[in-house]
Amino acid sequence: MKKPAGAAGAAAIEKPPFALRLKRDMRANWSIYLMALPFLAYFIIFHYVPMGGVLMAFQDFSIKKGIFGSRWVGMQQFETFFNSPYFTRTLTNTLLISFYGLLFSFPFPIIFALCLNEVRNKHFKKITQTISYLPYFISVVVVVAILTDFSKANGVLTQMAAALGDDGGALISRPEWFRTLYIGSNMWQHLGYNSIIFISALASIDPELYEAAVIDGAGRWKQTLYITLPGIVSTIVVLLILRLGQIMSVGYEKIILMYGPATYETADVISSYMYRVGIQDSNYSYSTAINLFNSVINFIILFVANAFSRKISETSLW
Amino acid sequence: MKQLKSVLALILALALLVSCFAACGGNDSGSAGDSSGSSESSPVDSEPSESNESSEDGADEGETNTPASDVYEGEVNGQTYPLTEEKVTLTMWYPNAGSMGELADFNDGEFWKWYEEKTNVHIDFIVPASGSESDAFQLLFASSDMPDMIEHNPNGQKYRGGEDAAIEDGYFVDVAEHLDWVPNYVSWLHSHEDWGKACYSDTGKLYAMWGVWRTINPEGALADQGLSIRKDFLDKVKMEVPTTYDEWETVLTAFKDQLGIEAPFYTSKYGIDNGEFMAGYDTAPYFYQRDGKVQYGPMDDQYRDYLGLLHDWWEKGLLDKDFATRTSGGITADNDMMLNDKVGSLVDYGTRMSDTYITRGATNPEFYTVAAPQPKKSASDPDPAWRMYDAGSDRMTTRAVAFNAESENLELAMRWNDGFYAEDIFLNANYGLEEQEGTVWFAAEDGHRIGDYDFRYSNPDGISSATVLVQFWTKNPPVRVEAAQIEQSDQNKQDSYQVWSKYEPTNFLPVRLTNTAEEGTQFASKYTDIETYVQECNVKFIMGQMSLDDYDSYRDTLKNMGIEDCIALKQAALDRYNAREMK
Repeated sequence: MKKPAGAAGAAAIEKPPFALRLKRDMRANWSIYLMALPFLAYFIIFHYVPMGGVLMAFQDFSIKKGIFGSRWVGMQQFETFFNSPYFTRTLTNTLLISFYGLLFSFPFPIIFALCLNEVRNKHFKKITQTISYLPYFISVVVVVAILTDFSKANGVLTQMAAALGDDGGALISRPEWFRTLYIGSNMWQHLGYNSIIFISALASIDPELYEAAVIDGAGRWKQTLYITLPGIVSTIVVLLILRLGQIMSVGYEKIILMYGPATYETADVISSYMYRVGIQDSNYSYSTAINLFNSVINFIILFVANAFSRKISETSLW
Repeated sequence: MKQLKSVLALILALALLVSCFAACGGNDSGSAGDSSGSSESSPVDSEPSESNESSEDGADEGETNTPASDVYEGEVNGQTYPLTEEKVTLTMWYPNAGSMGELADFNDGEFWKWYEEKTNVHIDFIVPASGSESDAFQLLFASSDMPDMIEHNPNGQKYRGGEDAAIEDGYFVDVAEHLDWVPNYVSWLHSHEDWGKACYSDTGKLYAMWGVWRTINPEGALADQGLSIRKDFLDKVKMEVPTTYDEWETVLTAFKDQLGIEAPFYTSKYGIDNGEFMAGYDTAPYFYQRDGKVQYGPMDDQYRDYLGLLHDWWEKGLLDKDFATRTSGGITADNDMMLNDKVGSLVDYGTRMSDTYITRGATNPEFYTVAAPQPKKSASDPDPAWRMYDAGSDRMTTRAVAFNAESENLELAMRWNDGFYAEDIFLNANYGLEEQEGTVWFAAEDGHRIGDYDFRYSNPDGISSATVLVQFWTKNPPVRVEAAQIEQSDQNKQDSYQVWSKYEPTNFLPVRLTNTAEEGTQFASKYTDIETYVQECNVKFIMGQMSLDDYDSYRDTLKNMGIEDCIALKQAALDRYNAREMK
């Protein structure tokens, strides 16, 4: 079937079809496409293909029968989780750890970057920055080992707490201290690294703005308030949205290294529960269902936060 | 907008970098987490891999590198050697990374060299990383290359759905269908009545070839772990080995006040041992039976009272202050604490008694531990009825070899493993090769072999005792000779085995109860949560974060979580077990 020549020609002039444009673009920029190929393949192979695995959440999965042979059970796995005695607790703990983590560890790198920005001695600035990165490169296993040692009955942190009037013994085995230790050590470890992005955003602010402000008689504080902060606010918002999208995902690695029966009450989160039922009891369907639930909530939060931000400010992810 | 794009680009670049590091770190923490989380659901499965190193000893120094020359030809014990004309390589999953000593490959051991020459079968050992064995076992089923043979501890490493399911799903072969290939194993199966019950499943399947003990006493195996106390500390405070809870308290208090011991009594991170210490209260840490009825320890009043005792001791500083954060969930103490005189008493293995810790690096030259009996409420009480092993399976080791149902060399693999059940071979595996008489072992007056204690623990060539174990014979051979573990030990160690073995095992639930696939799933879905909750509350009751006045509401919670269903499932399995016919 032939299309009327006139109509096709007109369309080509206004806007060629996507396939054609892609073809042309590929011919012109083939080297760039070639460079993108490995990453495209990476995402397809490791992130999109495995998504098929979420089917397990609706099955009674058996390794032998595989994804296509296992019995379908509908929402049964989800119901089990919602009725589990640990549902409320793990959900609350996950949200609280995330929320406090956001509350305390999100502003810190920004403040740190702002302070560094005010330092005029270049060497001091570089050295401080480097030292603040260092903990980031320590394995979490080592960080937790150090932390545990410090907060045992005779540990230095416990001693410090005791000097301030605390008399409950080892901090690491007390549920009320778990979040403090977890978030505190996270902040220590990630402060420098998380501030990199803000430091680079600060560097991109036009120096002429400061010069103009000085002429207008603005002091350091006013400069920070009216030039520096507005200059990096879009960065802050983007990062905040990304962080909100992870609010339901507290990684299990550090938790299972730190927690114990004494601290399950505040430390057991969805991912550590998932690890126990999924890896240790090889209940793959159940843990997939929990994970899927987790991801859906995360996605919703991310979506809402983005829409909200697009509405009140100009910044958004998409 | 341009700035925003550059910010996004930077974020993505950082995220990529992070994911690189996360990948490296993830591995670490995974395995570490596993070791801390490895479940204690049954006392037997909590045995750490390196800890049951037997004290068999091989001694020899002269001819360490001479390979054995006596290759058999023709039929011996129902097998024809060599098993194959052309050399065949079989793969074997062998989770003994913790026991390799200084060997790079188990094939470097003298016994394996000899057995390879005899059978013409080379073994490719697949050794999962220490601490990650249970996770690695689960992954075997998900991966496409299952080894020909899988040695594991079936009480701890379980296929989801149970042993029958592993056979029905086509992973493992039902050994009962190939008994003609394994004549030596069959003769062991028929050698004791309990065996038929314990080895076969309810549906008459043989999941694997089980490891067995050749026991000294025909009545049953000796308990190889139990309460242990520092004799040198006792001497310092001028006291005897305690026998009642009151005496224990006096001794522990003296340890704490006079010697400044940090952890007079050491417990696992769950606060509860395998039941040795609570037996005097007439209860048990998990499921047990009383007159054929399955009970769950934490539901007992006696269990509550025992927690009361521990709470009292916690308040008095007699327990390890950091017990809840120790990494070990099993019975063995943190090495660092043992070696530095911080522990007064604990549950320990027989092979570690006496001054063994000195060779492990203890700084105190007077270090000496002795066995303590299970404490009683008052001296006139009868001995508590409890010990580690139950009557039905104490002849079985915690190891078994299962066979890949799809292996191309199934018959060869089974015949190869069957050899270990023949006397001439298991003696070599337990004591050292025949021609190593006088060096690795020597003959007693009646002709049976005895290992050389000195060679193992103070080797003239300076070989560590752990390396001696794997270099001169084998780790966990399918037939373990109890005498090899006991006879070559010093007198104190021998006495310890006797002290721990005198309790009646009437209350123990047979380890080899099997659930149907359906029951197994039901049980797991409820009990996983219950177990976590019990572990958590044990610690809280001991540390006083929960009051024992609330014990009734705690029991109600357990009921709501379905403990009664779990008990019923265990009861059904026990009834079927008792009804099993000897095959």
